[in-house]
Amino acid sequence: MREAFRRELKDLKKRVLAIARDVTDMTREAVTSLVEGDIDRAEKVILRDDDLDRRCLGIEEHTLEVIATQGPVARDLRLLYSLTYMALHLERMADLSVNIAKAAKRTASRRGPQTLYDLIQAQGNLVYRVLDAMAEAFEKSDLELARKLEELDEPIDHLYKQFFRELARLQDEEDIEWASSMVLASRYLERIADNAVDIGERIAYLVTGDFDVIHDMTEED
Amino acid sequence: MTRMPAPIVSPTPAAPAPDGPDKITVKGLEFYYGDFHALTDVTVPIKSTAVTAFIGPSGCGKSTFIRCFNRMNDLIPGTRLEGKVTLDGQDIYAPGVDPVDLRRRVGMIFQQPNPFPMSIYDNVAFGPRLHGITKKSELDDLVRDSLDRANLWKEVKDILGRGGLTLSGGQQQRLCIARVLAVQPEVLLMDEPCSAIDPTSVQKIEDLMAVLKESITIIIVTHNMQQAARVSDFTAFFLQEVAGEAAVLVEYDRTTNVFTSPRDKRTEDYITGRFG
Repeated sequence: MREAFRRELKDLKKRVLAIARDVTDMTREAVTSLVEGDIDRAEKVILRDDDLDRRCLGIEEHTLEVIATQGPVARDLRLLYSLTYMALHLERMADLSVNIAKAAKRTASRRGPQTLYDLIQAQGNLVYRVLDAMAEAFEKSDLELARKLEELDEPIDHLYKQFFRELARLQDEEDIEWASSMVLASRYLERIADNAVDIGERIAYLVTGDFDVIHDMTEED
Repeated sequence: MTRMPAPIVSPTPAAPAPDGPDKITVKGLEFYYGDFHALTDVTVPIKSTAVTAFIGPSGCGKSTFIRCFNRMNDLIPGTRLEGKVTLDGQDIYAPGVDPVDLRRRVGMIFQQPNPFPMSIYDNVAFGPRLHGITKKSELDDLVRDSLDRANLWKEVKDILGRGGLTLSGGQQQRLCIARVLAVQPEVLLMDEPCSAIDPTSVQKIEDLMAVLKESITIIIVTHNMQQAARVSDFTAFFLQEVAGEAAVLVEYDRTTNVFTSPRDKRTEDYITGRFG
């Protein structure tokens, strides 16, 4: 009985990890579609969302079943709690990447100043780094890496602010809808990374069993 | 404060000192059945008006340990105890302590309900009569109050003259609890009280414990970890690491800590079903 339970935990963890990797990929594809004005690529990101939602919901449902039938405690309970938390947040992160893809569709018809594309790309690169670190910290139960996510997130917030400043320099003839879609995309990227930092806090709890870790990390925000 | 991850192997950790006074304290307890060393170096407080659960695999000495609190082991020839056990600061193994009086203050419930072969009323009135209460009205009040506290009154109020053994297993167990409550104990020892009764009765006894702990200190030995997690405020985990050697207290902490973030890897492995 216990063996089957262990296998279930392992399988759930593997599935969440795969979702995390897919969210990273969707984010990457969304940013690329935005920077390159590639509508086809953006469409593909949007189409992936239903499947991702279904998988996240599947995790929630399965963890509930395991909690109800196996009475998990200690690290098993912490893992199941973390998996549910991650599924919920990853689903939101996927939604944000879809929002970026939609912004790509809205902005593809015209080309704005290159500086802004460069900034979005730079911000995207930093977000991929956070997402990769999040997945690795989870996979390897790496406490140090989980704690580092917040530090990795900082420059992303700076770039978001810089994006605003650059936008203020735009000439009047720039399309306001184009500009607002770009600024929203930058905001979505920033939110994706914030969600990853929150997940990092739960990974730290999963590893240490100390809920104060989350309090401490949240206070540092 | 940030707690470090549980170490891989650790010595018996010092018990934390959570809030609330100690009803019972145990210091450096060693227990022997003849040549067999059953428990070693047990130091633990039992908090007043709370439920403390003892958990651990079979043969880890938890039943032996619980019987140290009312000197039930004295009845087994060849047993020996070293160290100190106090009740309200008084050494219960000191010369001059009357074990019968001690067992009135520290009542016990066993795995198998064991009503006396007499009426429900007489079962409950037995203890008070032994302690000299003879007045009918006083006994009536005590019987009613005790059955009420044991969550049984409503079910038996019209059949008090019927034999205690005619009741269902779960009712018999609550009758035994009423019998103990009738002599107004300060501590209630429960050795696997729910392992021989049906789930509905288990629920009734667990509900009862939640009420009783407001006025009585409860110690429960249970194999059911979910039950320990549900009913207790503090949990002590015992383990005999090597067959034939004395068992130790591995971890003692608030129940919520033990079941979410145990400090010792051996506790973690046991409660998550990795061994035992």
